[in-house]
Amino acid sequence: MKVLVAVKRVVDYNVKVRVKADGTGVDLANVKMSMNPFDEIGVEEAVRLKEAGKATEVIVVSIGPAQAQETLRTALAMGADRGILIKTDAEVQPLAVAKLLKAVCDAEQPGLVITGKQAIDDDSNQTGQMLAALWGRPQATFANKLFIEGDKAKVVREIDGGLQTVEIDLPAVLTTDLRLNEPRYASLPNIMKAKKKPIDEKTPESLGVDIASRLKVLKVAEPPKRVAGVKVPDVATLVQKLKTEAGVI
Amino acid sequence: MDFSFSEEQQMVAQTVRDLLTDQCSSADLRKMMTAGEGLDEARWTKLCEMGLPGIMAPEEAGGLALKDEDFVLVAEECGRAALPEPLVEHAGIAVPMLAALIDNPAVRKVLEAAATGEGRVAVGHPANLFVDAADTAAALLLWHNDEVHLVSVDDVKLVRQPSIDSFRRLFRVEWMPSAKTKVADAAKGKALWALALDRGALYAAAQCLGMGQRIVEIAVAYAKDRTQFGKAIGSYQAIKHHLANCQVKIEYARPAVYAAAATIETPGPEVRALVSNAKLSAVEAADFAARTGVQVHGAMGYSWEVDVHFFLKRALGLAGAWGDRNMHLARVADCVLNSGMPLGPAATFPGGTAHAR
Repeated sequence: MKVLVAVKRVVDYNVKVRVKADGTGVDLANVKMSMNPFDEIGVEEAVRLKEAGKATEVIVVSIGPAQAQETLRTALAMGADRGILIKTDAEVQPLAVAKLLKAVCDAEQPGLVITGKQAIDDDSNQTGQMLAALWGRPQATFANKLFIEGDKAKVVREIDGGLQTVEIDLPAVLTTDLRLNEPRYASLPNIMKAKKKPIDEKTPESLGVDIASRLKVLKVAEPPKRVAGVKVPDVATLVQKLKTEAGVI
Repeated sequence: MDFSFSEEQQMVAQTVRDLLTDQCSSADLRKMMTAGEGLDEARWTKLCEMGLPGIMAPEEAGGLALKDEDFVLVAEECGRAALPEPLVEHAGIAVPMLAALIDNPAVRKVLEAAATGEGRVAVGHPANLFVDAADTAAALLLWHNDEVHLVSVDDVKLVRQPSIDSFRRLFRVEWMPSAKTKVADAAKGKALWALALDRGALYAAAQCLGMGQRIVEIAVAYAKDRTQFGKAIGSYQAIKHHLANCQVKIEYARPAVYAAAATIETPGPEVRALVSNAKLSAVEAADFAARTGVQVHGAMGYSWEVDVHFFLKRALGLAGAWGDRNMHLARVADCVLNSGMPLGPAATFPGGTAHAR
């Protein structure tokens, strides 16, 4: 079984992002970029499936500019077998990503597609679900545990207030949640091997996908700054303020 | 001529940085400092899983056979994190020294364990008064009249010595050299100890480079956050110019360290001078950054509340390790004044390599 993992190049989670002065987006100049953490969990799960003998090949795919190749190399260093870079400098929204991944699925015929539940840049949480719909295959989102049993997958999902276990037929789409696994650090031998692993380059045009934007970003703004607190002389004043000013009791 | 590090070298450094950011945080260091520990076995295991102990071991001993220019960035990251574990001395100095003696079956056995990280090896070099991390080593490489002796830690007596840096666990080693422990005679040993000294100085410099950079980052973050008279203190020239000077010193030291790493195995006084120049400039940059970092933090700069002290103490410790300032200045002076070293732009690179092609 082939496992296809989608990996997105995003602003590193340690970076404190700044909104551009004109409010059109986030300033990406000289900002450290990394693999979306949920996608990293996806790569780790796929590599574990291969190590357990459940998968035969792990293919990682990324959509973005030429620098997205670095993200693919990171995934290859973690243990993926080969990469596919769908090269574009344009903004690619979730529906277009899902269509591109569907085209890759048609070509590669994977038994399982893993995506992060969301990317930490736009927090859309749409791609996996859209891909399942376009591909016409089952989906199991927010995966906390995954068990492959023949041509079925048992998935423990994280839901509000608990866990839900579902069984789905393969091929299927899985989206990862935070607790599915703890991604490994690439080992030095794998980093050395990663350079030799193949990365195929494609374009949206070569896959016959129109990636034109369907959504228009009107404004991007920073969260309001937290106002300074005040010291109150006693409990009675605190209760009074909570009642009259904050209105929470 | 391309002086930049390869994609793999940068990825190795980035992966080490990610691991140490996660596993060697300020909170981790404080926990160890409170407990009086010098080694975290869980973190060492993670370093071993990455393959770092054997990075410079030959492939036949289970290593990766990488070079000093590959390890220099790793050492820099170790300095940046003030890593307590003796990875730099083990992987960057002891393992290459063992690798040079791999024909000896006893050495090979120790090297194979060292490459996986299962058996740590400490180095007792005559340039250092004491042996760092000897208590957690399985074996020690010890100097005796230029001979190299490989001694099990069980066969020596270790006497703990005080260190300004609580993570550098220094020991005086009491031992008896014997024919059984000798793995290289004086003729061969002399060259090995000389190269070990150069590697020690180089990797102390690389760590200082990482430490200096980290201190600047900590101080800049504080200067952006702390306000006085309604403005961030970093906006005042009295702060920002000092921090800019720190960065300038780091940027001047950086190529000196990388050049030494790229040429360290080349014989001749010019390369020895390059190594000494790297140590001198990187120690100076780290020392200046540490002193400035303390001042930027104001009255609490010297206290344990601020992380700068971890780096300040390590920098002070490393300044005197693997040759002090006087020793390295003398090597540079000797090279320039007495060795007939070719000077001028045509001799920028050792061996007369053309400046540009």
